[in-house]
Amino acid sequence: MRKILAIGRVNTVRFLREKSNIFFVFVFPMMIVLLTGIAFGSGFDAKVGVHVAGDEGPLATQFVTALDDLADISVIRYDDPDRMLDAVQRGYTDGGVTLPEGYDEALVSGGTAQVEFVSRPDQGALLVRELVLEVVTDQARPVTAGRFVEGTGAGSLDEASAFAAAVPETVTVKSRSAGDSLFEEFVDLGQFDLGASQQLVLFMFLISLAGSAELIQTRKLGVARRMLSTPTSSRTILLGETAGRYGVALTQGLYIMIGTLLIFQVDWGDPIGAIAIVLVFGLVGTGAAMLMGSLFSNDQQAGGLGVLIGLGLAAIGGAMAPIEIFPETMQTIAKFTPHYWAIDGFAELVRRDGTMVDILPNLGVLAGFAAVLLTVASWRLQKVLTR
Amino acid sequence: MRAAALIMLKDLRQRVRDRSIFLWGIIAPLGLAAIFSLVLGGITDTQNLDISYGVVDEDGGAQAALFIEEVLEPLNDEGLFTIEPMGSEAEADQRTGDGEVEATFLLPAGFSDAVGAGQPASILVIGNVDSPTFSQVARSIAGQYAGQVNTINASLFTYLALSGEAPDPATLEPLVGEVLAVTPPLTLVDSEAASKQLSAATFYSAAMAILFLFLTVQFGVLGLLEERQNETMRRLLAAPISRRSIIFGKALTSFVIGLASMAILVIGTTLLLGAEWGDPLGVAILVLAGVIAAMGIMFVVTAFAKTPEQAGNLQSIIAFVLAMLGGAFFPVAAEGILGRLSLLTPHAWFLRGLGDLATGSGVEGAFPAALYVALFGIVTGGIAQFRIGRVVRP
Amino acid sequence: MTPDNGRVLEASNLRKVFGDLVAVEDVSFHIGEGETYGLLGPNGAGKTTTISMVIGLLERDGGEVVVAGNPVTTKSTTAKAAIGYVPQDIAIYPDLTARENLSFFGHLYGMGGSDLKRRIDELLEVIGLADRADDRSEEFSGGMKRRLNIGIGLLHGPRLLMLDEPTVGVDPQSRNAILESVERLSGEGMAVLYTTHYMEEAERLCDRVGIIDEGQIKAEGTRAELVSLVGQRDKVSLVTADHAQEVAEALASHPDVVEVSGNESGIDLLVSGAAAALPALLQLAAGAGASVTSVEVVEPNLEAVFLHLTGKALRD
Repeated sequence: MRKILAIGRVNTVRFLREKSNIFFVFVFPMMIVLLTGIAFGSGFDAKVGVHVAGDEGPLATQFVTALDDLADISVIRYDDPDRMLDAVQRGYTDGGVTLPEGYDEALVSGGTAQVEFVSRPDQGALLVRELVLEVVTDQARPVTAGRFVEGTGAGSLDEASAFAAAVPETVTVKSRSAGDSLFEEFVDLGQFDLGASQQLVLFMFLISLAGSAELIQTRKLGVARRMLSTPTSSRTILLGETAGRYGVALTQGLYIMIGTLLIFQVDWGDPIGAIAIVLVFGLVGTGAAMLMGSLFSNDQQAGGLGVLIGLGLAAIGGAMAPIEIFPETMQTIAKFTPHYWAIDGFAELVRRDGTMVDILPNLGVLAGFAAVLLTVASWRLQKVLTR
Repeated sequence: MRAAALIMLKDLRQRVRDRSIFLWGIIAPLGLAAIFSLVLGGITDTQNLDISYGVVDEDGGAQAALFIEEVLEPLNDEGLFTIEPMGSEAEADQRTGDGEVEATFLLPAGFSDAVGAGQPASILVIGNVDSPTFSQVARSIAGQYAGQVNTINASLFTYLALSGEAPDPATLEPLVGEVLAVTPPLTLVDSEAASKQLSAATFYSAAMAILFLFLTVQFGVLGLLEERQNETMRRLLAAPISRRSIIFGKALTSFVIGLASMAILVIGTTLLLGAEWGDPLGVAILVLAGVIAAMGIMFVVTAFAKTPEQAGNLQSIIAFVLAMLGGAFFPVAAEGILGRLSLLTPHAWFLRGLGDLATGSGVEGAFPAALYVALFGIVTGGIAQFRIGRVVRP
Repeated sequence: MTPDNGRVLEASNLRKVFGDLVAVEDVSFHIGEGETYGLLGPNGAGKTTTISMVIGLLERDGGEVVVAGNPVTTKSTTAKAAIGYVPQDIAIYPDLTARENLSFFGHLYGMGGSDLKRRIDELLEVIGLADRADDRSEEFSGGMKRRLNIGIGLLHGPRLLMLDEPTVGVDPQSRNAILESVERLSGEGMAVLYTTHYMEEAERLCDRVGIIDEGQIKAEGTRAELVSLVGQRDKVSLVTADHAQEVAEALASHPDVVEVSGNESGIDLLVSGAAAALPALLQLAAGAGASVTSVEVVEPNLEAVFLHLTGKALRD
């Protein structure tokens, strides 16, 4: 047992001594959590750009505020119309509204103002247009009423407009929602919570696979032979190598968990359950790394494949976008990845306040993955190590 | 020049024999592009949404018919969404709740009468809980109708209040026509902007291609450090060739590998994933600029690193960080500090360049972006030239 | 082109400074056609630095090098084409075959076509790799890699061959093969510059030897010339059956004997000119009543010369 831990420690230390590994284990995941938090943490609201040409009068401000007050839409103001257009074209916003120069003047003096809506020729943008249209209708109402009244001679434009603005609406739109929300769960999540559990799973697995390069080097450098020449059984060496890989996976997992807890105040739910997922998922990553290390004799090839598998499984398993918004077939396919079960476990703990008992099925499936991978890997490695 | 070509050919032979290059240069980026566009593509695509709204007419009166025929149906006919007539509120709740429709308009009994009498009335929008944006769209569509009715009501109410007349249907009726005849003070004019958004397949193909390009160029320039490590550099230096030709040979290797892998990726993703890269010449120019940028960074890293391992690690770090900032993994905001940082990366500009080409523009669309990308490579590569000499020595 | 005057290499007043360290100072030597010149010195003496300047790997801080009439700088390609260089470490591409390694460097030296092919086949025979020509060199044994390493330096038929410690870490058999091939090449008229810290190799191969230490050539000449620096003091070992004490006293009286010391089986003498004095010495021994069973005369070697010149041993 002491030997196993000795080999394991050497392997973990060797991996973490490499400066680039330190970057990918300790710095990069935090950068991703931060950036994805900024990119997605504010939700999936439609975004509309607004540019007010010329001086902005009170009516123009009122227009923008009304647009901003609509639910599920966020307004981004632009001073430069070209930038607003560019943002629309590149999909940063779903549309751009320009209030013309002299907007207030036109409305007060009886003229007309043309509000411009610029959008990409796609359906999402056209739907957003309806929101703008509603604001246009609403904003025009008191002015139209004022002009009508002025035309009848019953009152002045200013007086009538002011009066009309205060008239309560007779026809209103009420709304309520239907269905069990999947997203409601997300609403309560902190800005970084979703990203943190996704990145934890993604990086634990990816970094484990990167560790397979070391195993290959160990084989290539003949260190394995040297170890075999000491009074150490091949079983012990195998367990030691496994322990080394596991050490790396756990370092990565616990680091992201504790790091995001401290830096971003990420909620991980029941700590025992969360740590249990890390412990078992670490074994899955370890098994995958050992298998890869046994199948390849060129660490650069293994590296390339590791990136493909690590990122690919993460995408399929829901570590890049919430599984709940996947099409149904993809949701089914996701269940074949260990990532899905780990992320689902975290979701249970965090979003549904689950405990250890609730995630037992997840832990079971993950343990199954780990058992299969580790068994196949050690069978292969027994053969190649002594070859 | 002959010596440089010889070195390149030798390097290529070694790389092909090693086979890692196929994994890094082709299989990994192609595989990831395929997975990402398959898994994440459906989520981010806003080009062709399949939106439908339900409508329940419990009223059966004129105003309800007006709303359905004059407001909803034209939008249905325009193809903006489809209308699903439903029988009851219960049905609406169920089908909306299941997500079969994004939201349902419900016109309650007595709606037309109330509207006709200027009495309070309301349209109910039942929204699917997970379609907040499209529910809001439904509310806004109903809101536009309500706004028009309210405009008439507010106009007449104001008229009565200011003129002191008694409300008399006979006198008010013609006034409705007058209200409707007022020139609308505000109109919405539409203008269409050519989309510079890439389809999911194109985006992920391009993003993975540019990410991995920065890794595959290693297989050339970094060879300078490898030759030093395994002492063959001494042999190259002793041979009757110039030092510049050694550097040039390695640069050529990077260039050929980078260009070849990019060409394969462009063609492969077009055929296999349906990526639309845009004007071929424009794409070629962008790709060329991308290769130059990747080589520039690689030269800097090689010039400053001590061992090939160190250089390889440093290059991967830079490649992943630039790709992340450049929006190759997930969209990074165009505004703020982050946006500014993003626009320093060649990755962001490479993707923007493709966006410019996506408007259907010809080769000229590639230029502003390609110039920046190439400039990035020329500047970084130029800095490296002051130090690269230290690598080409025994 | 300066006139050749039979000298393939002419190096004069070489100087190289690394920071504060003067690695090579005022080193001059020349090598003629068919001559083997040895640079003998311990590790770190400046051998590799000197060689690197001679073949234009390193910029010089001073001095001149002319090879086959052409000045050598780091940029000169004409002079470099006349040099065959065998680095100390194995410098081959492990993932290329023996033939591909040879072919690549052959091309770099301007060879090509059927000419190069024929030359490679010839050379593969010479270095004994003909049957492994198309195997990757990473699969070779250490000795085979060494032979390929040398073969690459010979491929283009250089006028000057530079071998930098070619036998370090080589098994005795391969080592012998290397020494033999150097002797043969020299016999064919090639000029050879050979660096080593093995005294025996320098003695066996080199027509002339430069003894280098701390970046300077301390002495230079043929073996005999160098040895004469220590004077003709030969070591004579006598093995006697008995009367050792008496014999020692008797021998010490001879004027040519400088020093006498006893050991467990006999007596060691340091003698000026052993050849001349030997008969008299044997007579003296017999006169002392001893029966001499064996006599060995050892002439002074380069090891002794090095010790004499630097006050330290050649090997660390």
